[in-house]
Amino acid sequence: MKHAKSDLLQGTLDLLILRILASGDMHGWGISQRLQQISQDVLQVNQGSLYPALYRLEQQGWIASSWGDSENNRRAKFYSLTRTGRKQLAEETANWERITAAVGRVLQHG
Amino acid sequence: MSVLTLFRRFRGSFRTDTFEHGMEAELRHHLEMEAEALVARGMTPEAARDTARRRFGSVALVKDDCRESWGMRAVDTVTQDVRFAIRNLRKYPSYTFVVLLTLALGIGANTAIFSVVHAVLLRPLPYANGDRLVEVRQLAPKAGIANAGVSVKEVADYREQTAALDAVVEYHQMSFNMLGRGEASRVQTGVVSTNFFDVLGVAPLLGRAFREDDDSKNAPAVLILSYAYWQNALGGDPNIIGRTFELNDRVHTVVGVLPPVPQFPAADPPDDVFMPPSACPFRSNPQTIANRTARMLTAIGRLKPGMTVERAQNDLAVVSNRLGAQYPEAYNPAQTGFTASAFSVHDELTRQARPTLLVLLATTGFVLLLVAANIANLSLARVIGRERELAMRNALGASRGRIARQLLTESTLLALAGGALGLLVGWLVRDLLVAFTARFTPRAGEIAIDGTVLAFTVGVSLLTGLLFGLLPAFTRRTIASVKDAGHRTVGSRLRARNALIVAQVAISFVLLVGAGLLVRSFIKLQQVDAGFRTDRVITALVSLDFVKYNKPELRRAFYRSVMDKVAAEPGLETVAFGITVPLDQAAPFLTGFLIDGQAPGDRRAQPQVDFKFASPNYFKTIGMTLLSGRAFTDADDADAPPVAIVNLSMARHNFPGVDPVGRRVSLDNGRTWITIVGVVNDTHDYGMAEKSTDELYRAFAQTGPLSASMLVRTAADPLAFARAIPAAVHAVDPRQPVSQIRTLEAIRSRSLAPPRLTAMLVTLFAGVALIITAAGIAGVVSFSVNQRTTEIGVRMALGAPRSSVTQMIVRQGLTPVAVGLTAGAVGALMMTRVVTRLLFAVEPTDPITYAAVIAVLTAVAAFACFVPARRAAAIDPMKALRAE
Repeated sequence: MKHAKSDLLQGTLDLLILRILASGDMHGWGISQRLQQISQDVLQVNQGSLYPALYRLEQQGWIASSWGDSENNRRAKFYSLTRTGRKQLAEETANWERITAAVGRVLQHG
Repeated sequence: MSVLTLFRRFRGSFRTDTFEHGMEAELRHHLEMEAEALVARGMTPEAARDTARRRFGSVALVKDDCRESWGMRAVDTVTQDVRFAIRNLRKYPSYTFVVLLTLALGIGANTAIFSVVHAVLLRPLPYANGDRLVEVRQLAPKAGIANAGVSVKEVADYREQTAALDAVVEYHQMSFNMLGRGEASRVQTGVVSTNFFDVLGVAPLLGRAFREDDDSKNAPAVLILSYAYWQNALGGDPNIIGRTFELNDRVHTVVGVLPPVPQFPAADPPDDVFMPPSACPFRSNPQTIANRTARMLTAIGRLKPGMTVERAQNDLAVVSNRLGAQYPEAYNPAQTGFTASAFSVHDELTRQARPTLLVLLATTGFVLLLVAANIANLSLARVIGRERELAMRNALGASRGRIARQLLTESTLLALAGGALGLLVGWLVRDLLVAFTARFTPRAGEIAIDGTVLAFTVGVSLLTGLLFGLLPAFTRRTIASVKDAGHRTVGSRLRARNALIVAQVAISFVLLVGAGLLVRSFIKLQQVDAGFRTDRVITALVSLDFVKYNKPELRRAFYRSVMDKVAAEPGLETVAFGITVPLDQAAPFLTGFLIDGQAPGDRRAQPQVDFKFASPNYFKTIGMTLLSGRAFTDADDADAPPVAIVNLSMARHNFPGVDPVGRRVSLDNGRTWITIVGVVNDTHDYGMAEKSTDELYRAFAQTGPLSASMLVRTAADPLAFARAIPAAVHAVDPRQPVSQIRTLEAIRSRSLAPPRLTAMLVTLFAGVALIITAAGIAGVVSFSVNQRTTEIGVRMALGAPRSSVTQMIVRQGLTPVAVGLTAGAVGALMMTRVVTRLLFAVEPTDPITYAAVIAVLTAVAAFACFVPARRAAAIDPMKALRAE
């Protein structure tokens, strides 16, 4: 079942979305493209699983959405990072770095 | 969660359509963009669309997750579950019908009985000071007196000396003739202290309560009406205040009307009107006031705030000790054990109802458990039938939790619908319940379906739903795949269903034993020889105006004339006067007496006797037997020497081994002596379940009571005299009322009504339980026959005779029944304490009842197994084998 995402994966996806939106407003498909590009297809998730994460982040008030016109004049929902989202991103990034550094140390010297 | 988020959710839940619409559009946009990108890389549009979808994953699941993220999932799935459940239940109308019917019955019965328990036992009295009221009672345990009454002087003593009480008020009931509305009528009158209603905490509905200055011989006489009397006798006249009535030759003005509250101390008969003590000719008599032993009153005390009943009991014991020492001639504490104590008014008002209500509460509780077990059983059968559907939904991505929730939604929905129907049942039977409860307690009028009862019903419904919903929802762990569904889990299901049968049989057993004991007890009660005959006897109460008929001679002449007039009526066998009618009074009127040759002493220390009056034909009229000596004759009049007849108990207790005829007794401490001229048989005058009291009958013509009961034995229908008696009375004096015209049979039937109704109710419930259980057993056995069609076919193909197939099925069907019988017997033995107090002459472990219940349950269960077993035996082996 896809429902059962581990907390780690869910947290990671949230962090990546926040990071991508930090460089500009984007709609859902755009975010999924950026994810694939940047991760060079390492993060293989169903594109669909992006949306529940977007809705959750919006509920938390870290991102906001508005409808606008996309590249080929289609109506699309654009997401942007809010002020609290930016703060959250900073915190989460620091957190992530601390953890990966720690994990890295364990893997090297453990 | 921030306020903003809450607000979003709140808004979100109301804007489901907008949300859904937006989500649709967004996801569609994604798929289109992806497909376009793929086409741009050279795919055909069709292939691009497919690839886009594949990369996206299940749209439905994503939507589900999105909804969940958005926080609407909870709201949304509940509606979805409910809709689905309703659709499902409509697919199985017979299942739904049976479930709703049994639930309505089970929950309805519980609602009804709980509404009574709540009103009578749980709720505080509807007096503002209800929980602080105690009855102050004097007892003389060594003389066998549980309630000696209280005198005017004693009320004053307790009022002044009991520290735990901040008020003590008096009460006694009289019966007066009232003029002022058509015919003369008899009113039950509560004579009460002026602050009586203030102490109880009852404010009048109309007008005012009594004031201190009402209680004076010179003040204008005033009345307060009871709510029921105002409504029933005076049509609820809104201008009643100020209306006048004539009682005891004085004009009384109505100053107030009470609200509809239960009456205490007297409820049967209830008081029609109330007056202050000075207005009662007996109570205001200076001799009554001066006489410390004229104990005609009931005393009610109010605890000081924060004081307990125990404190009041201690204080009263101290005060009564002091009184005993101060007035030894009035109390003789060494011989009588005289003391005083406090009894909670709430307990006194509900004492009689409590054991019956607890039995009924247990009964309905068991019925509901049984109903839940039965529905769980039906649901299990249905879940097995739906195994494939559920497995399919599981495979399609519905989580197990979701399916369990779906099943629970169904059961909750059913339970709530059943609860609503049950509430309706409870509401419909309210009047019956009030009439039933009124036989036990004056609080019956308070029965209502209020908020608490409503909450109880909803709670019980939900609990029931949970009970019968959980089992099917959580015995379905084993489903692995669609393919296996319907086979692998049958074994565990059958075990679960058999366990439910065990429970149902055990519960039925307990209920049947309870019903059996009550029925047997009632039969025993009916077989009790009352000592008199009730057939073809009609009775009426004649009451005289004591001002006009102020001399015994006048009263005797009046009764004589009435008797002569009635005796002239055709169709009459005998006519007699007595002071009371058997089975019509709750308690004997005990008085001490002296036997000639014994030293005079305190009356309370003397042997006690219930004394009555009887005219010459009294014993003949009600079919009593003269055992020794003679009956009264017309010669035993006021001029002849006083004579009495005693009953066998009295003779045995006071003249052991000798015939009391010819001996003399005194009821007034030796001032006058009465010669015993005869002995009659014992009677159960105060209830068939009560022991006979020692009785002494005085010759009616040598007394002259202010009211007397006429008893007429007729040749044919006694009700034919219902008009003749008042006509005869009014021919002699039209201003004297006749009341309580009833046949003796009706009085007997009324006295037996509480045990009869209780036995009927419990039997009704037990019968319903038996039917439900039989249906449950038949259902499980049919189910197992269906499941084992192939196996049975194989057995028969291998040569098993049909009779052995029937036997096998019946035997296997009866196994859980046998277990249930054992469990039920143990349960019933453990429950006996509940029912003991309601039994008469039957032990709660009565072996006959147990044997009968085992026989009935076994027979019914065997029949329930036999029907599907016959069907099993009729299986065509060839068809059965081919079907697989």
